[in-house]
Amino acid sequence: MQDIRYYDLRQVKGSTTHIDIDNGVIEAAGTSFFNDTVVRVLGSRGWGVVSLESFNPESKKALSDAIAKALTCAEVTTEDVILAPVKHRRRRLPTLAENPADVDLEEKTKLLLGIEQSARFPEVVNTRCTYIERQESVQFNDSSGYESSYNVSRCGYTVMAVAMRQGIMQMGRESQHTIAGFNLRHQEELGQKAGRTAVSLLDAVAVRGGVMHAVLDQELAGVFAHEAVGHASEGDLVKEGTSVLKGKIGDVIGNESLTIVDDPGIPEFGFEPMDAEGSSVMRTEIITKGTVNSFLHSRETAAAVGHGSPGHARAMPGDIPLVRMSNTFIENGGASVDEQVQECKNGILLIGSRGGQVDPGRGIFLFNAEYGYLIEKGECTQMVRDVSLSGEILKTLHDIDLIGRDRQMHQGYCGKGGQSVPVSDGSPHILLLNAVVGGSGTD
Amino acid sequence: MQWWEAVEPIDQILKEGSKQVEELEVFLVDGIGISISLKAGVIHIASSSTSWGLGIRTIDNGHIGASSTSDPTRWRECLDAAIASGHLATKQEWKGLPNPTSIIPIARTHDPSLHPQIPTAIALIDSMVEGAAEHPAKVTGGAVDISRALITIANSHDLSYSMPRTEISISLQAIVGDSTGYEFDQSPFLEVDARWVGEQASFLAVHSAEGKEIQSGLYDLILSPIAASQLIGHVLIPALSGRNVHAGRSQIAGLLGKQCTSDTISLYDDPFARGMGSTDWDAEGVPTRRIDFIRQGILEQFAYDLKTAYRYGKESTASAVRSGYGGSPGIGVHNLIFEGSQSTIDDERALYIHDVVGAHTANPLTGDFSLELANACWIEDGGYEDPVRKAMYAGNVFDMLKSVTAVGKKSRIVGSMILPPVRLNNQRIIGK
Repeated sequence: MQDIRYYDLRQVKGSTTHIDIDNGVIEAAGTSFFNDTVVRVLGSRGWGVVSLESFNPESKKALSDAIAKALTCAEVTTEDVILAPVKHRRRRLPTLAENPADVDLEEKTKLLLGIEQSARFPEVVNTRCTYIERQESVQFNDSSGYESSYNVSRCGYTVMAVAMRQGIMQMGRESQHTIAGFNLRHQEELGQKAGRTAVSLLDAVAVRGGVMHAVLDQELAGVFAHEAVGHASEGDLVKEGTSVLKGKIGDVIGNESLTIVDDPGIPEFGFEPMDAEGSSVMRTEIITKGTVNSFLHSRETAAAVGHGSPGHARAMPGDIPLVRMSNTFIENGGASVDEQVQECKNGILLIGSRGGQVDPGRGIFLFNAEYGYLIEKGECTQMVRDVSLSGEILKTLHDIDLIGRDRQMHQGYCGKGGQSVPVSDGSPHILLLNAVVGGSGTD
Repeated sequence: MQWWEAVEPIDQILKEGSKQVEELEVFLVDGIGISISLKAGVIHIASSSTSWGLGIRTIDNGHIGASSTSDPTRWRECLDAAIASGHLATKQEWKGLPNPTSIIPIARTHDPSLHPQIPTAIALIDSMVEGAAEHPAKVTGGAVDISRALITIANSHDLSYSMPRTEISISLQAIVGDSTGYEFDQSPFLEVDARWVGEQASFLAVHSAEGKEIQSGLYDLILSPIAASQLIGHVLIPALSGRNVHAGRSQIAGLLGKQCTSDTISLYDDPFARGMGSTDWDAEGVPTRRIDFIRQGILEQFAYDLKTAYRYGKESTASAVRSGYGGSPGIGVHNLIFEGSQSTIDDERALYIHDVVGAHTANPLTGDFSLELANACWIEDGGYEDPVRKAMYAGNVFDMLKSVTAVGKKSRIVGSMILPPVRLNNQRIIGK
């Protein structure tokens, strides 16, 4: 039997509450329960992992059995994994203005129904609103004797409206997720916005793809930061050689006013009081004034790659920690939106996002805007729908011409390695020159 | 916990629940799995997992409730939560959970010789790496996952079916400079071709290097099964769901009996085909059958589960699926098969698109999309030619399906779909 160099155990117990209201019909409103544990062991070389349900951490036998089983797995690994030293510290969780757990399901359902109904306008043929709440109780301990536990509560909703006129359909969608407490009260405005967007989009045109200047709103520019820079800065991708940012520390890759940060410690939707390896979390400047400054790391990738500190390992309940973003944003600059639109002269203003994707090894990314407006002679004109932008990581950041001063964060979920974790992305408005814009329009 | 132990809570739940509600259903998944992950050519993580989960659905006077748990000792709490959720759900027309019928097993859902064992996974990793060595690319990552589960559904009408399910999936990533290649294979049976996966991943990386620019314009395209499946899966499958059709969220809701694709295309769900979703009964215990959605371009059928069928006066098409044990079943497909006019599609020059970046950003309602290409190259006389470095493909999924001229002869499994490469004429590419 080989030696155990390290082990840790992470157990997440909790409940998920889900409400789904579709055209006024309460399709589902209920709570489910989970209890997932992952035990990781470092043998003489690499990781052995066991994942289990309903594990009893009080049982010494259950723990030693899990460790023994993980060690058996570790025996086949051929990579020599080294862990960087860790600073253990758990931050205080944000205070909940109102704990969603204290609001009964009936009241939540009634409030959600109000939001769903507020999205109804003439020509709207479908409205749907879903609510998701997760209460998690996290317990972590490792072979150094460190132990920590905390409870975290996340909730949020998405409201969607479909409008139809003479066979043409369009949709509007708004969502808001938070770690700051229950958020279904007084939200009718966002429902109305979804409804109005759906109706307005009936008159929008498809843009003809090509190269043009683009002003990106805060949500879209946040997705841009996430896709164009965030993923490629993840230490595991750098380590395995699938990031174009490998070897680029100190290189200027963008506008000298551009600073891009990931910070799990701020009270936004991607908040972690400590990371999934018990490491203290901190602000990491990935890009500082246009220069590649730091990577995001777990203990393992920090030891292997350097240039950054651990604290960015995150995991879904029952899954292994991966290097992940949390709250990723472009720092404010000095321009106003009006200046950006005027400077753009002829181009496009793009709003909202259904997300994006990146091939970090190839350095090519794509992200999508839900809608926008053509900019003609420095003014916003015709509404356009379904626009995507693609670019190259090492080239596009130089094309950021103006950075606004109105940063906002937007919440979402990010997928990687089969795991989906809560994140927020944000930015001020930015003006991107010569953007490659894709649209299905023909004239 | 072993499956025979798991049966006990099912009986208890049914007995206990029947005292409180008119009908109830228990869905149980009990499985084991292993996975091996490869990073930069060496074995980085080996893991072993157990998975046990229970889903309970209750129906009382047309109110449907649901809950789930991964803790066998908390089934009473789960039952209570399911009943409580039913109190809030809007009452709907309901004609009962299915009664047991004598189902003759046809669907092959598992391979008795496929066990989640680490040596099996290591041998597959070795074969992939060996295959990758055929071309001068560096292996960056890879994975082998093998799982085996027993899936049981039981309801208060004495229906009780069980099915073993095995799954294996393998993948490899390779890189040359900044040119990446990725390939995978998956099957319910131990019949994945690991050497081919490795060889293909490194071939794609090598062949896509030093791609040329392409001018914006209209081109004939060939979408690989991987590229085609992403657009079809994101847009067309939801549009076929009866729930979306009746809720006003399907672009093709009014097209029953009418042409909705090229007249050579047929699209059907065959639960008995050799695919990842093969099953003799759906996630509500309704016996499955082949469902022809589109025949020769004509839209013939939408997909229904019991809830949607009862609500709108239709018949269930046994299209209920679950992504795990949790929540309520939803409407989906088991093995969606895409067929068209088969021909040699790569003789005449076309742009071959192996994969796309950002398919999930396509508008799921309207079908409008603009995506970045991955591993695109020219193809002519059956051979791969110059790669294309970077370009976008813009269009609309419903229009795209009307532009299919022919499909290739060899289909492959991609998730819950089985489909060939597809040739399309006059598609918009945004390049230089």
